[in-house]
Amino acid sequence: MAETHCACLRLGEKVPEFQLTTYDPVKDDFGTFSLAEQIAKKRWTILFFYPADFTFV
Amino acid sequence: MGCDVVTVSTDTHFVHLAWKKAEKELAAVKYPMASDPTGNVSRLFGVYDETQGLALRGTFVINPEGVLLNAEVNFYNMGRNIDELMRKFKANVYLGKKTNEVCPSKWRDEGDKTLVNPGAKMVGKVHEALGQ
Repeated sequence: MAETHCACLRLGEKVPEFQLTTYDPVKDDFGTFSLAEQIAKKRWTILFFYPADFTFV
Repeated sequence: MGCDVVTVSTDTHFVHLAWKKAEKELAAVKYPMASDPTGNVSRLFGVYDETQGLALRGTFVINPEGVLLNAEVNFYNMGRNIDELMRKFKANVYLGKKTNEVCPSKWRDEGDKTLVNPGAKMVGKVHEALGQ
């Protein structure tokens, strides 16, 4: 069984700021994703978590 | 459409690069592939499996104000349905504009039947309101 801990993020509530290092295939370069930047640009975000590269998604 | 898809796993960005270049299934991929090696962001969303060090198949829709509107988590062995994800995303955008409406389960796209001003008059009359 997967052991996960809920950090108490709830629907309808603001997600705290976070940043992630990215590989951007369009630029073929590394970059940074920032939620604050998405809010500044007024963009929707779909976060798509998956277990591991080199497996099915 | 004003929406950015970002994939996240606990692999490093170096591995994302290597996978993208090796796997032909990913040839059309245009979205940024994010790296969460500490699992901190996966933990924030409640999808980090502490026993494996991996993230479960979680999908989250966040609006332009940074508010979380949808959450779906599948176990390791089940893939997600992209049509349903797109349905949810379109419904979110629609509902952002039409705050007095609700999208029932069969709603798929703009123009489909919604319920307007659900309230006391609709109690016990949802069937009629949907025109079924």
